[in-house]
Amino acid sequence: MPEAQYEFFIDPSRCIGCQSCVQACSECDTHKGQAMIHLEFVNRHYSTQTAPVVCMHCDSPTCAEVCPADAIKKTPDGVVQTARKPRCIACNNCVLACPFGVPKMNSGAELMMKCDMCYDRTSIGKAPMCASVCPSGALYYGTREQIEAQRPRSMPINQFQFGQQTISTKVHMMVPRTAQPEHIDVLSAMHDHTSGHDIFLMMHDE
Amino acid sequence: MVKRHPVRKAILWGCITTISLAIMIAVGSRELAHFDAALVAYTFATLFATFGITYRYTMWLQRPPTAMYWKRGWQMFFKPQRLLTNMRNLFTRTSSDFAANRFIWKRGKLRWLAHWFIMWGCIVAVAITFPLVFGWLHFASVPGSLDSYRAYLFGFALFDFPVDSIFAFLMFHGLVWSSFAVIFGVMLAMWRRMRDHGAASVQQFVEDILPLILLFAISVTGVMLTASYTWMRGYAFDFIAILHAITVIFTLLYMPFGKFFHIFQRPAQLGATFYKDAGATSEQAHCRRCGEAYSSRMHVEDLISVQKQLGFRYEVAGEVEHYQWICPPCRRAMFVLAQTKQWQGNFGDQMFSSMHEQPAAPRFGNPVISEGPLGHEDQANLHF
Amino acid sequence: MAQLPRSELEMIAVFGPHLAHAQGQRLEAGVEPDRLVKTHCCFCGQQCGIQLKVKDNTVIGFEPWYDFPFNQGMLCPKGVKRYLQGAHPDRLLTALERDPASSGGFRPIGYDAAIQRVAGEIGRIQAQYGNSAFGILSGASLTTEKTYLMGKFARMCLKTPYIDYNGRLCMVSAGAANKKSFGIDRAANAWDDMLHTDVIWISGANVAECAPITTSYVWRARENGAKIIVVDPRITPIARTCDLYLPIKPGRDIALFNGILHLMIKHDWLDHEFINNHTVGFEAVAEHVADWTPKRTAEVTGIAEKGIQQAAEWWGTAKTSFMTHARGIEHHTHGVQNVLGAISLVLASGRIGRPNCGYATITGQANGQGGREHGQKCDQLPGWRDLANPEHRQHIANIWDMPVEEMPQPGVDAYEIFRKIETGEIKGLLSLCFNPKVSLPDSDYVSAMLDKLEFYTSIDFFLNDSARHADIVLPGSLQEEDEGTVTQAEGRVIKINQAIECPGEARQDWRIIQDIAQALGRSKGFTFDGPRAIFEELRRASKGGVADYSGISYEKIEAQNGVFWPCPSDDHPGTPRLFEPNSWNPVAKGAGPFYFPDGKARFNVAPYTPPAEDVDAEYPLMLTTGRVISHFLSGTQTRRIGPLVDQYAEPRIELHPQLAMRLNIQEGDWVTAQTRRGEITLRAQVVRTIRPDTIFVPYHWAGQKSINRLTIAAQDPISKIPEYKVCAVRLIKASQAPAYASQLEPQQ
Ligand code: HEM
Ligand code: SF4
Ligand code: SF4
Ligand code: SF4
Repeated sequence: MPEAQYEFFIDPSRCIGCQSCVQACSECDTHKGQAMIHLEFVNRHYSTQTAPVVCMHCDSPTCAEVCPADAIKKTPDGVVQTARKPRCIACNNCVLACPFGVPKMNSGAELMMKCDMCYDRTSIGKAPMCASVCPSGALYYGTREQIEAQRPRSMPINQFQFGQQTISTKVHMMVPRTAQPEHIDVLSAMHDHTSGHDIFLMMHDE
Repeated sequence: MVKRHPVRKAILWGCITTISLAIMIAVGSRELAHFDAALVAYTFATLFATFGITYRYTMWLQRPPTAMYWKRGWQMFFKPQRLLTNMRNLFTRTSSDFAANRFIWKRGKLRWLAHWFIMWGCIVAVAITFPLVFGWLHFASVPGSLDSYRAYLFGFALFDFPVDSIFAFLMFHGLVWSSFAVIFGVMLAMWRRMRDHGAASVQQFVEDILPLILLFAISVTGVMLTASYTWMRGYAFDFIAILHAITVIFTLLYMPFGKFFHIFQRPAQLGATFYKDAGATSEQAHCRRCGEAYSSRMHVEDLISVQKQLGFRYEVAGEVEHYQWICPPCRRAMFVLAQTKQWQGNFGDQMFSSMHEQPAAPRFGNPVISEGPLGHEDQANLHF
Repeated sequence: MAQLPRSELEMIAVFGPHLAHAQGQRLEAGVEPDRLVKTHCCFCGQQCGIQLKVKDNTVIGFEPWYDFPFNQGMLCPKGVKRYLQGAHPDRLLTALERDPASSGGFRPIGYDAAIQRVAGEIGRIQAQYGNSAFGILSGASLTTEKTYLMGKFARMCLKTPYIDYNGRLCMVSAGAANKKSFGIDRAANAWDDMLHTDVIWISGANVAECAPITTSYVWRARENGAKIIVVDPRITPIARTCDLYLPIKPGRDIALFNGILHLMIKHDWLDHEFINNHTVGFEAVAEHVADWTPKRTAEVTGIAEKGIQQAAEWWGTAKTSFMTHARGIEHHTHGVQNVLGAISLVLASGRIGRPNCGYATITGQANGQGGREHGQKCDQLPGWRDLANPEHRQHIANIWDMPVEEMPQPGVDAYEIFRKIETGEIKGLLSLCFNPKVSLPDSDYVSAMLDKLEFYTSIDFFLNDSARHADIVLPGSLQEEDEGTVTQAEGRVIKINQAIECPGEARQDWRIIQDIAQALGRSKGFTFDGPRAIFEELRRASKGGVADYSGISYEKIEAQNGVFWPCPSDDHPGTPRLFEPNSWNPVAKGAGPFYFPDGKARFNVAPYTPPAEDVDAEYPLMLTTGRVISHFLSGTQTRRIGPLVDQYAEPRIELHPQLAMRLNIQEGDWVTAQTRRGEITLRAQVVRTIRPDTIFVPYHWAGQKSINRLTIAAQDPISKIPEYKVCAVRLIKASQAPAYASQLEPQQ
């Protein structure tokens, strides 16, 4: 099946904060009317940088492991699903435990909902909503050949380090080919506010 | 509690409940005096289901996160200073969430309608049939009165009622009403599952469709039984009876494994609410990146211990200690910033960093007015 | 008319803007649409391909159209949620007549009665005061067919010189400069030429928010090694990670371009062969920029010298390059000069008309390109012909079958039309696809002029803010209720397909115009049975012109996913890249690639002049305006779409923390901005992404939240574009929340 080769790649450095992904996410049939993707200004005071975060679909998902109700399941193709509806008891464990901060709690409905890679679409070979519409390519769904051809400066990586814990994921993140890192150390950004240009740097002082 | 092999423990509890039920049946039916031998297959299936459900429940309770919630749920419930409120909440939550399924209403009106009918249909049916099957409840004509019945529970006479009363009609046709409720609910659920593209993509036959088929089959064969003896002079009654027995017995055997297990699992929902209540009023955990409160300290500490038991190594050197002490929004920001750092030097941007000033928590879209989808939810849940 | 028929609040209560959110069939996950209609977004000039899901004559959602080459399924949030504009509670389903006794100030009247009334008033005013007493304002979000019809309606049916359109607020500076330099006004390249270029220069274009899809081209180029230079007073999202960001003072772009050219000449980063063979006028420009030393450039532009040097070096030494700009440099009293400066950099580098070398203004409105080509501009006839040129007049008069003497001479620009209302020359006005009360500068003046009219009729699908002043409102059509062509930013002609029928008594705009013509008893030339018939006439009319559409057909557009004009014959594939060596055009006739008789491009001396209203002690700051991504133009549509309002609900004043500290303003505080024309009180957004001497306010809101009540009506002498991008302002912290805060919803 050719669809099987399609993969999800994210490159937050490209994100322009347009929120197309957020708006399109709520058009997907598995969670119609609710957006599952996260999109925040990292620190708007300093810069316009935004953080688009989808579920990374961990190989061994922390969210599922910490779920007391056994409600989070992974499909054979590696997609970690929203909580099974009859089971989820809205305890918030997954929301607090996911290393990427992905699951969302819908407390009225007493149900955790999360990005499921638009399973109604990806399971039949269509691209997820967010990656379809994203005008910056921050969210991209395609084959490895496509991404390698289109992004000669970047390479995909799927190992993330949190303290002593390494998490490997189905979704890949783009890093510079020149750097060739083995993993991304998430805590390396502990003291960073955000990134951007400093306007004074290029201003003529009078 | 002494540490035991989890499977052995589950088998033990399974045996205990199964044997207890067997004894109750024996005693409740007055040494099987009121036990209908024709129903022996049902009884054995029920005993098997009891074993299976207890076994699975015990196994489930032994998973670290479940064990934690089980323990904490009771602890929080019985906290002396909270007990009164908890009792009150127990009552309101049982009626709104369990009896009325209010939270399913919030998920969708159609889902709610389907579920409410299935649930109450089944509850009524179970309330009628199981006591009858076990011989705990039986009816006999009142000696000396031809038009009255007397109800017996565990062999004790309860009350008399006239044969042609409305009560009697409802009583003896209770199973018909409940079947109709179940059929209606199942049809709605099926309709939704056939139409809804989202549901269609994730549902599995054994997990999602089979239970609906089973309930449908039980209800339809049940109604056919009534139809057979009421209007068709018992046409094919025996055949239908066997069919009905097969569907019920199969369902009972399926109970511990599939979707119906949620009936026994759901009460944990209450435990979770008591835990949350206690957490909201107790000491808060403050994110070690942005400094904002994001959950109860108790919850964070419990999760740390659960994660350790599960074999995760989220410990962090330095003042953060454990990754769990970072709030989810800061995790998202750091995840992205860690990538940004990889790209430093490639483009014109630079990092704004400071060891002294705490980074602010990231914020959704328009900070003045809108927060975007589920914004309020995140706020409610993460105590922002 | 003296004033609004009812108070603003009462009118808003009845006619909105109210919000639409997905509900019913639009929210259910199980609805199978009746059909998917391949069409395009109704908003910006990118014209993204999109498939609309239609069920029961309602657009219930969308599906990406992956195969459309420009956007390949990508959309911005406006495109994603545009489906919510249909079946909207505010939709006008009947014609309306001004009636102060009705709660909303209008009462419904029958469509035919409304047409009769409009025709009657036009007839009366023209009979009483002459043909030119009736004016027309049209728009660049209309299909090309409609814009063609509007021009014809003015010249042939009403015989008034006074028609102009809201492209006047959009691309006219670029258009005028392009004509002066290249002899043709179109983006010189398809965006594909960005992908493998060495340097992309972006001046005054908030690409990420106003042309979001272009972002993907810029980032893909960056992957291939391109350097990105962004010039803007604000660090917009596209500027955040660009390679070189130059924080220019609003209104000083020409100084920067002159300074860069100065350095190119100094370091001999020039393509002499190209300059000699394909251009004229270089020497004069070289002489002019001799004074623009880096030091002087830095002083005028407010950009550090090292930034100017770096930009010049990257631009000068590049092998391939792509220059883009947008309203940021065009919305100025010297907008044309700014664009000429940018073009000089392109011509001096010789990097145009070749693969991976390009130049383009990024068109703003849906049909910003097509809408400025076929005759709804005050001085223009179809095919980019000139209304003052006797030959051109004759050509079109023949097509229209009208005596050429009856064709009016050129009129005036859109703002001047209001000045003519003030002087009493214009007594009656018809507007379509234009909301001048929100989009024109110094807009309190504009509302006063609307009230001064004897008769005003507006065609729209919602009661827009200007239409509140109307005598008759005619219920027009949404984009998805009609078909026709649009020419998007790259010059690609694409086809809008009809998805649903107009609801109620609403009519397709071209029908309304033809019905008026008929009611006037002047239906000759206005008996088209549909857009296709109009397009066929447009093809003939444009034939031989610069904007030659004669080889384009609906079928060809579909087969090729769009056709780039010029396309002069049926077997011509269209022209994605202009000015290729040895290319033929009807003006040069083989003499060279540019659209002048000698085939050469023109260098133009572009002197620097400060903005019309510079800062002073009284008004010490610069006010600049622009867009946010979730809204479009005057917000008539987007302020009615709930999720887009959720995304950006109300305008805020963006200011730098240094300025905020001086004025003791905190994030979220109410702040009053004052100019010589008016004042506005909004909340503050304190960010380090803007120059400390500049404040920014987006313009999509009306009434008390409309920043155009403060902007200046000064215009470029050539293009007549207003100077939205800079005027003098002062800020003070407000002592309390404005009254509207408790009376109005954010979008109102
Ligand atoms: C005799 C009792 C019950 C029966 C027979 C029953 C049966 C079912 C069935 C068949 C479904 C699947 C519906 C579908 O296919 O969409 C379901 C779903 C569910 N049940 Fe029950 N149920 C019972 C009691 C309860 C109780 C007491 C609760 C909790 C208060 C509960 C909570 C749920 C939930 C949350 C779902 C998922 C609903 C959704 O969001 O789609 N059930 N139940
Ligand atoms: S990213 Fe989070 S929600 Fe997704 S699978 Fe991993 S732990 Fe679960
Ligand atoms: S659609 Fe893409 S660019 Fe826009 S906010 Fe989402 S991730 Fe960022
Ligand atoms: S507004 Fe422009 S960028 Fe956004 S979807 Fe529409 S055409 Fe595309």
